[in-house]
Amino acid sequence: MKAFRTLGLVLLAAVMTLTAMAQSAGELRFCLRSEPRTFDPLLVSDEASDTVRYLTGGVLVRINRQTQTLEPELASSWKVSKDSRSISFALRDRIFYSDGSPFTADDVAATVKRMMAPETHSPMADAFGAGGEKTDIKVLSPTRVTITFAAPIAGLDRLFDEVAIVSSRSPRKEMAALGPYYVADHKAGSYVYLRRNPNYWKKDSSGQAMPYIEAIRLDIQANRDIELLRMQRGEIHLINSLDAEYFDRLKSINPSLVYDAGPSLDSEQMWFNQVPNAPVAAYKLKWFRSSNFRHAVSMAINRADLARIVFGSHAQPAIGPVSPANKFWFNRKLRPTQYDTGVALRQLQQDGFRLNGGVLRDREGHAVEFSVITNAGNKYRERMATMIQQDLGKIGIRLNIVTLDFPSLIERIAEKFNYEAALLGTVNAGLDPNEQMNMWLSSGENHQWNPRQKSPETTWEAEIDRAMKAQSQLSNPMKRKVYFDRVQEIVVREAPFIYLVNRNALSAISTSIRGAAPVAMRPQAYWNIERMSLTDGKKVH
Amino acid sequence: MKLLRKLAWIILLTVAALSAMASVLSTSGYATQFREETSAAPSRQHWLGTDELGRDRFARLLYGTRISLGLAPVAALLATALAAAIGGGAGYLGGRWQRGMTVMIDLFLCLPWLFLLVIARAMLPLNVSPMVSVLVTFGLLGALGWAGPARVVAASVAALRDSECVLQARAVGTTEWRILLRHIFPRLLPILSAQFLILVPVFVLSEANLGMLGLGVAEPLPSWGSLLREMESLYGLTSAPWRLVPLGLLMLVVNSLQLVMGDEETSA
Amino acid sequence: METTTPLLAVDVSARYADGHDVLRRVRVTVERGEILGLVGQSGSGKSTLALAILGLLTAKSGKIAGSVQLMGRELMGLRPREMRELRGREIALVLQSPLSALNPALTIGAQLREAWMAHDPEKQHWLKQAREGLRSVSLPDTDDFLARRPSQISVGQGQRVLIAMATMHRPALLIADEPTSALDMITQAEILELFAKLNQAYGMAILYISHDLASVSTICHRIAILHDGEIVESGKTEELFRAARHPYTQQLLSSCPHILAEPPKEEDMDENLWPTAPAGVLQGALHSHTYHDCGR
Ligand SMILES: Nc1ncnc2c1ncn2[C@@H]1O[C@H](COP(=O)(O)OP(=O)(O)O)[C@@H](O)[C@H]1O
Ligand SMILES: [Mg+2]
Repeated sequence: MKAFRTLGLVLLAAVMTLTAMAQSAGELRFCLRSEPRTFDPLLVSDEASDTVRYLTGGVLVRINRQTQTLEPELASSWKVSKDSRSISFALRDRIFYSDGSPFTADDVAATVKRMMAPETHSPMADAFGAGGEKTDIKVLSPTRVTITFAAPIAGLDRLFDEVAIVSSRSPRKEMAALGPYYVADHKAGSYVYLRRNPNYWKKDSSGQAMPYIEAIRLDIQANRDIELLRMQRGEIHLINSLDAEYFDRLKSINPSLVYDAGPSLDSEQMWFNQVPNAPVAAYKLKWFRSSNFRHAVSMAINRADLARIVFGSHAQPAIGPVSPANKFWFNRKLRPTQYDTGVALRQLQQDGFRLNGGVLRDREGHAVEFSVITNAGNKYRERMATMIQQDLGKIGIRLNIVTLDFPSLIERIAEKFNYEAALLGTVNAGLDPNEQMNMWLSSGENHQWNPRQKSPETTWEAEIDRAMKAQSQLSNPMKRKVYFDRVQEIVVREAPFIYLVNRNALSAISTSIRGAAPVAMRPQAYWNIERMSLTDGKKVH
Repeated sequence: MKLLRKLAWIILLTVAALSAMASVLSTSGYATQFREETSAAPSRQHWLGTDELGRDRFARLLYGTRISLGLAPVAALLATALAAAIGGGAGYLGGRWQRGMTVMIDLFLCLPWLFLLVIARAMLPLNVSPMVSVLVTFGLLGALGWAGPARVVAASVAALRDSECVLQARAVGTTEWRILLRHIFPRLLPILSAQFLILVPVFVLSEANLGMLGLGVAEPLPSWGSLLREMESLYGLTSAPWRLVPLGLLMLVVNSLQLVMGDEETSA
Repeated sequence: METTTPLLAVDVSARYADGHDVLRRVRVTVERGEILGLVGQSGSGKSTLALAILGLLTAKSGKIAGSVQLMGRELMGLRPREMRELRGREIALVLQSPLSALNPALTIGAQLREAWMAHDPEKQHWLKQAREGLRSVSLPDTDDFLARRPSQISVGQGQRVLIAMATMHRPALLIADEPTSALDMITQAEILELFAKLNQAYGMAILYISHDLASVSTICHRIAILHDGEIVESGKTEELFRAARHPYTQQLLSSCPHILAEPPKEEDMDENLWPTAPAGVLQGALHSHTYHDCGR
């Protein structure tokens, strides 16, 4: 799962500040939680670099973070071929980079070519499929370009949301920006300073050039307590993503600063090890491989309590693999798994389990006891595990909680399969099911409960495989969704992943910002930066 | 002085008695989650309020005290005994032995312990009961905590070994055993008890740190480590000052211990 | 007096781990009942010799070669256990400073007990012996005194305790390594007197080590001069004082103006120097050439 790459990673916060000085009244401040590793938009793999890319990169199309639909940007229109292998863009005319160099179809060609070249090692190349050299790029005119990939790619157009076009002519290369801002200054370990791109092409309905805010100062600050303190003091304007505890803390100081945008795309889940030759007692594997057992455990967990107590109600009980925040792909027919220990016990009895004197035993008389591993130092997961421990205790299951450092945790779940159950989360940056291919296909590396199967071991996994492949070969989203809805149903029924909660997207935004509208999708708080403005006040709030 | 020492004894005995009677005194178990009353302020039902998961803080404090204050001194005693044996032996034998041990201790102290402990944890079986995890944790602390004190002990023993009074004892024909037992060990006691007193709070805190690495006392068992960890954020403390009670109690107990043991040295 | 074997006959060389020779073929004999003064300046090797005799040099990582004979018995090459059994019983040692030689953590009683029980494991004997030991050095033998710690008695009392410890078993030879150097003048005299008394009362031979020729002269029958690891001169006290041959001895003598070339007579005693010294005892010690038989 793409999730694991970013798991445990600190999300980037972005906050903007108004300084006291008159000439920089238009300066916004927020914090990056680490030094950006690169300013090359094709090499971005960390949150800090991603923030800079989002604020400075010009893209052909953009997913509107609010509506989650794809909108034209530098391309005024585009068309994906029937076979989903190629895409043609019609580009806007008379557009210039921040340094004045003109934007043409050649830039698009050069950018895609470099992205697909294996020697570039662009993290984005994977999504566009293998066989990078076979990518065929035809520049038909300065404003028309067609790109043909080696194999069909479902949801091809949406992938260009991340492809910031780099100038092929400008001597400043990637430092010449097409987006609303450009990097004007950078002091390693201290800050990144962005200035408004004077050549930015967009104008609002009244004809005023965008963006409205003159400059953005991104302070590099790893410590969240300090970030919070600076927010309280009005030194920064926003925190892009807050966790529940910090949210409540800030709220108790100034309720007008915090913003809960409802469930995010991310989820927290628990799963059982189903790897057939895993170094786990055979009788336990038998439990874990039984969908009755898994589903019963799922029903015995009080998700509403998890959301309410662990996350202070800043989370929603998860329904299935897709968060309701994913407007299009979420299967609305799914109902939340009911919390019912009675039904759970009955389901367990179908498998021969008996509850006797407070201890659940399987058919052979083994007391049901297993361990769940989670990453040490994550308060929320530790607390969820402790609550699940008590929930499962009610149906006679003894749960041992083991917190491990991240590397040994990953080693256990991905290499040695030496674990019984795990509790982790998935971070979803995108919306499209194709981004989760590796998780759902039984052959997938991130098919966590039983990865890299030669052929699907269960009928339901075989069915998921078929549905995922079928949807990936279609271009009509509605038809694809029929298949992916089916996948969601199966996952909820079979409970290979027991989805627990979807955390809410929480952010903090200064009252001196106008036009902010935090959403569930990243970047939650400043996705509409070009429409945001600062009031004249010298103080932030 | 006398009065203070009496007071210290009373405090220690009271704490010991309270934690021994934890099951009688606390209205609820340390693990029961009152999910409708999370992070509650002190009340008649929950004298110290409840924690984030709605567990009775008073019960957790009593049981945590039983675990940490029961085991940290045991671990400290183990570490001090090891230090006395290893450091004392090397210091007494002197010469090559002492140099060898100094090198060994330096190496031992240089090892990235946190890292090694994390690896050790990763190798432990997953299904250990919380109680076993507690014993393993304090056992490890005890087994690994000797090196620093051993260095101090070795230096003191070497000095004592060369002292006039040991020479005098030898000159009257005292056996080596008696010299160790009657002349060196009693004079080491103040050093050992000082080391012991340093180790007790160090171990309590180490357990808290280990907890963050996934070692340490497993849920749902409480320990001082987990209680102290709740104090990470200053913010929570100002809004809920009763959370400071565990820290206050730790300080009280350590100070009492110091008073009691300190007095014993001079009057023994 | 022609005795076949002297009490102690030493002929040793010694060095420490640093390799430099501290003693070079030092030959010393102590007759039974005799007080031999060993005089030499600080660093000349006196303490080293004392330790060599007691077999304690190895504990200080020193090396010793030669021979140490006690009543004809060769001590070099004895096993550590046999050597330990000799210490305190046959040869005892009194060190310079009671402050550092007494264990501050143990009561006087406990230290006497240790000293007694080193050679007599019977538990019931020690108290009687301890009291007797205290009396023999003119200390109170009360329970209160036994219960005191070294910090609760005076330096002079401490030195007496050390002497009591050393003489409990009535050793044939007592080595006193500068036993008075840490004391004030008055106490020095008292302790000197005590040694003379013990020598007379028990016929205990004493190897009396000092850097101060003057104090030695008052109680010693014979004197040996140790200079830079070698015995440069030895002889009867009067003879040495009358006709020192070695230039170093002469130098020593000239640096002690109050020491007379003649052995001191009662009326010559410097009353200021020894105001409380019972002269009779001192005189007795000096003029008695009757070597007591010290068979035990
Ligand atoms: N433990 C030791 N190691 C090395 N050298 C020593 C040691 N003890 C004494 N010495 C050296 O041996 C010499 C004789 O010392 P010592 O016998 O103590 O002299 P004295 O007792 O006559 O003052 C001195 O030069 C001293 O520095
Ligand atoms: Mg000396």
